[in-house]
This record gives sequence, C-alpha cells and structure tokens, in this order.
Amino acid sequence: MASLPSESSRAARASRAPSGAGRRARTRSEPFEFKLSQLPVYFLLLVGALVSFTPFFYMASTSLMTLGETINRRLVPARPQWVNYQRAWTEADFALYFRNSVVISAIVILGVLVTCTLAGYAFAKIRFPGREIIFMVLLATLMIPSTVTFIPNFLLIRGDVIPWGSWINKLPALTVPFLSTAFIIFLFRQFFQGIPDELWDAARIDGAGHLRFLTAVVVPMSRPVMMTAALLTFVRTWNEFLWPLLVTTTPTWRPLGVGLYTFITEAGPQTHYLMAGAVITILPVMVVYFFTQRQFTEGIATSGLKG
Amino acid sequence: MTAERATRRGRPRRAWREWLTGYAFILPAVVVIAIFGLFPIAYAVYMSLYSWRVRQGAFIGLENYSRTLGHAGGALAFFGGLLLVLVAHGLWTDAFGGGRGEARRYLQAGGALLLLASGVSVALGWHLMAQSGDRAFLQGLVRTVYYGFGSVPIQIALALVLASLLFQRIRGREFFRMLYFLPYVAPAVAGAAVFRAIFSPRPEFLANTVLSLFHIPPQRWLFETKPLTEVLFGGVLHHLGVAHITGFWAGPSLALVTIILFGIWTFTGYNAVIFLAGLGNIPQDLYEAAAIDGANRVQSFRHITVPLLSPVTFYLTVLGFIGTFQAFTHIYVMRQPAVRDAVDTASIVIFDTFYKRNNWSLAAAQSVVLFAIILILTLYQSRLFGRSVFRG
Repeated sequence: MASLPSESSRAARASRAPSGAGRRARTRSEPFEFKLSQLPVYFLLLVGALVSFTPFFYMASTSLMTLGETINRRLVPARPQWVNYQRAWTEADFALYFRNSVVISAIVILGVLVTCTLAGYAFAKIRFPGREIIFMVLLATLMIPSTVTFIPNFLLIRGDVIPWGSWINKLPALTVPFLSTAFIIFLFRQFFQGIPDELWDAARIDGAGHLRFLTAVVVPMSRPVMMTAALLTFVRTWNEFLWPLLVTTTPTWRPLGVGLYTFITEAGPQTHYLMAGAVITILPVMVVYFFTQRQFTEGIATSGLKG
Repeated sequence: MTAERATRRGRPRRAWREWLTGYAFILPAVVVIAIFGLFPIAYAVYMSLYSWRVRQGAFIGLENYSRTLGHAGGALAFFGGLLLVLVAHGLWTDAFGGGRGEARRYLQAGGALLLLASGVSVALGWHLMAQSGDRAFLQGLVRTVYYGFGSVPIQIALALVLASLLFQRIRGREFFRMLYFLPYVAPAVAGAAVFRAIFSPRPEFLANTVLSLFHIPPQRWLFETKPLTEVLFGGVLHHLGVAHITGFWAGPSLALVTIILFGIWTFTGYNAVIFLAGLGNIPQDLYEAAAIDGANRVQSFRHITVPLLSPVTFYLTVLGFIGTFQAFTHIYVMRQPAVRDAVDTASIVIFDTFYKRNNWSLAAAQSVVLFAIILILTLYQSRLFGRSVFRG
C-alpha cells in the first residue's frame, strides 16, 4: 500500500493510532541505577517539563485567584476561590457548553464506531469489486485541509446544495459531518486484517453471515482498537473549533471550545473567570489522557512512523 | 481464500451476495465521507469560478484566481518552480542510483541546475504575483512561511534533544513523556487562552514578570506589530544609522513570534514522541560497535543517531510545514484585533475573506490555492521521504 497520506490537520495527526503491533524494543525492567553523570540529563528533562507544564499550572492557579491577585504577581492564591468556577459554570453558560460538548462527542464517537467498524471490516475481510480503489479514495480525503472543505460544507449545512433545510444551530450540523472518518477506517482495517480467516470459515460453516460474525466474534476481539478509536475521536471532537464556530451563532448547541472563545472576546480583563473556563474545557481531555496515556502516546508514535 | 471457496459453490449467487454485503457495509461511511469530505473539493472549485457573496452570482471564470495571484505568468512560474524541485531531486537521486561515470555526472549537474532554475522561477514568480495579487492573502502566505521556519526547526531540534535524553536509562521516563505530550492533547482554544493571559502586555503578567527579573522592560507581545529584528536590535540599528529593516528580512512581528512560541510549546512533545519511537528502531549493536571503536557519546549521537533518524526528521519537517499551512485555532484565538495584519496566516485570511468580507467565491479560490501548495508539500513528502536522507 502506498504511504498513508499526510493528514488534514494536526488534530488528525493525533489520531494516528496503534494497530496493536510495534512496541518499542526496549525492555522496561532493566535494573535501575542512579549515576551522578546523569544529573545533567535529569536537569534538562526537568527544565523541559517545567516549560511544558507552566501554562497548565498558571491556568489552574489563576483560576482560583481573586481579581486583585491576578494582577499582583501572585504565584498561588492566598485562598482558593472556588466561586470562580461556580460563576463560570452558571453565569457564563459553561454548564450548557459542557453538556453540549458531551452530547456531541457521545454521538460522534458512537457514529464513528459503527460506520468505521462496518467499513473497516468490509475493506479487510469482504471481497468486492473496486475495494482497493474505494479505500484509496477514502484515504485521500485525509490530505484535504479543513480550510478547503469548510466553505462548501457550510453551504451544505445551510441546505443550499441538498435541500434538507438549514442545520445551523442544530445538533446535526455539529455531528453528521463527523460520523465517519477515513483514518479510523484505516485503523480498523489494519486490525481486522490480523484476524485469521480460519475463524470466518468456522463461523460460516456454523451458518453465520458477515454481520453475525462481525458482532459476535470480531467486535469482542477488538476491544483495544475500539477503545483507541473512541479515545482519539473523543479528543478530536472535543477540541474541534473552526467548524462549530461557524455553525453555532446561538448558545443552544455551542460546544465548550467556542463557548470559551466567545467568553474570551466578551470577558475582558477577568482573567480568573477565563482561566476557570479554560480548566473546565481542558479537564475532561486531561482526565481521559491521564488514564490512557500509554495507549495514546505509543499509538501515535508507532503509527506516526508507519506513515 | 474465502472468495475462492465461494466461487466453487456456484459463483453467481454467492459472489453476488458477498459483493452486496461488502457494499452495504461500506455504505454509511462512504456516504458521509463522500458528502462532507470529497464533494467539497469539487464544489470549492465550482464556487471559485462564480461571483458568490452569500448568494451565487454570475459566472466569472478565473477572475477570482487572477485577483488572488495577480500575474498569471508569475503564478505559473511560482508553482512550476515548486514542482521543478521534484524533477531536480529525481535527477539527482537517479544519478546516485544507476548511472555511472560520465552519465552520472551529467545527471547530477542537470539536477543541480534544475534546482537552481526552480529557485529562480519561484522567486521571480513570487515577485510578479506580489505586485498585483491579493495583498492580504499573499502576505498571509509569507507569514505562514515565517511561522513554519520559526517554529518547525526549533520544535524538531528541541524534540530530538528531549527524545534522546528520555531514551537513556532514566527513572520516570513515562512521567516525563506524559508531561511533554500534554500540550499537544489539550484543546488549542484553552491553551491559546492561557497564552493570551501569560503574554499579556500588562507588566504584572507572567511573561513580563519573567523579563523584569532580567531587567528587560515589559513587552507588548501579542499587541506588538514591530518586526522582531527591530524589537531586538532597534537601538543598535539606530546607532548604525539604519532606521528600519523592511520587507521579508525584517522578520515576523513580535506578535507572530508569540504565536510561534505557542506552536513550539504544543508540538515539541508530539515530535519527541515520534523521535522516541524512531530511536527504538535503531539497532543497539551499532552503538556497541561504536563504543568498541572508541567513540564517545557525542560522537555516536552525531554519527549514528542523527543520520539514522534523518528520515524521521524529514518526515516531521514536512508534516510540520503542512501543519503550519493549516494552522487555524490558536492563531485565531490569540490574534488581537489591532494587529491582525501582523499575524494573520493564509488560513486565517481565507476564513476572514469568507466570514468577515463575505466574499465566498474569493475565499474558495484562495482555499484552492492553499490546497495546491499543501498538495505539493505532500508530494515532496511522499517522493523524498525515506530516500536519500541518509548521510555518511
């Protein structure tokens, strides 16, 4: 197969994921010994960690300050102002945005899992004319930047091209375009190709069709890859910005990212509330990442290299 | 195998059902991707040929393109030059691959000449385009190039250092890796919001506080339209009698530099993770052999690690540049209304042409141009990736 086309955005790059294979060669259980000569190594690593982490620390710390503290060069608040979160949550509509983001992500994850499992299975295990070509064409869409697609897609969503009425400010505008992505299909196809054909032969002798085999045998075997797909889709959907900005002019279905942006443009110097909003936006992703980070990073690393 | 068995038991019905199942399985995905992924390309091209401000107007042919790119010959020279690089590279690698003696030298010389020609063509073409093209868009492209050159090499160098440090036998590798990767996973809107606060022009905020520790006066950061060279060396230059450096060599504005810092902060960790995987693929016995030959750590880094990682480096470089051409969210969030001219990269300009100026077909034409550039970069990647990047 030709190389996987470079993907449409950095966000898409986050979604390069593992096919289960290709662990790093190093063993983890080597006996550890501390050498003084390694001190510079640790020092540099710590500097890197500090730079990487400072904005997060700053965000969390500032989100708990009073307005006065934010402009007085305080490193940490004297007393954490949890009320900032309450304010952001209720008065700045972050509760609504949060709910919207959760609903949107859930629908997109579910849709992606269903459509991409089916397609990935077909591309891996069912023979039909045009299979390779169709797959290649789908993969090619990963190269297309959203800067090119957003204008025609906006017309589509308004119902100008296909007369299905305007979806602006409605849930389908935020979910339907994302219900399938070539990248996750690619991911599933890779994984399903590794499932031995003998299993399918056995299932067929028992009278099962493809759908039955897929749901009863393949899907239960594929939990890790499904998990990865769900994770990557979640992060990608949660972090989406340009498109929701375009199609949500009212708060009804506005997701967190756009909500935070409108807050930035309206809040002015209220840095503490703003940072509370940023924490609310970041936290779910952080929590998910924290609990699944090995799967996440190693997945991106191994598949990024296959590219 | 399954298909063969199916054919033996009466081809027509079996095969048919298999085909239908296949098509049915891919149908939902294909419909979604075709409508929202493929169709827009064709439609963007279609739109770009009309006058289209919110509503479709008259057919105007290539007018939007000539408005965007200015000089048709210039545009041809520019894009032709970009493509010529590929041909030059082809000749060059052919020279190393098959040819021998005389032929090889000719091929090489031809490649070098072509490369030179392509450079001249790109520069000339750009010059012609810049005179009459859409100023906002072409300037946006220049800023995108600044942004790429400012952030990608630094990201990659830092990432390589971090990755090789992490690759040693140290405690807490997982922990460090998680921390470095964190900025990449965080939503860009939130990260950019934090950067806006840190790099606030007020003297009490973090960036200026850090500067004050070194007795450097507070900077206006995202509000600063002055080019970097002037911010850094303004005083010195005045002494030398140079009032301003203008044009391309003045460098990006401090505002764009701040945005570049965000880019570095976000993507260094991602690149480091990729490098780590690349390091894992380098056979350890090379290092052992080098150690027996008396090479020290720095030498084996220089002569083993760097050359063997060069395909990864190249891959990340091109991907990084493609990324900068698509970068949107953090720039959009971090830009201040007063300094838009100083920071808007090509994709932001396109969005504005669409969203603020309501000229949809011009925006479509611009996006098609941007796509062409990204496509050429992608071609570079697939052509050059993994070949000829090894040295020594």
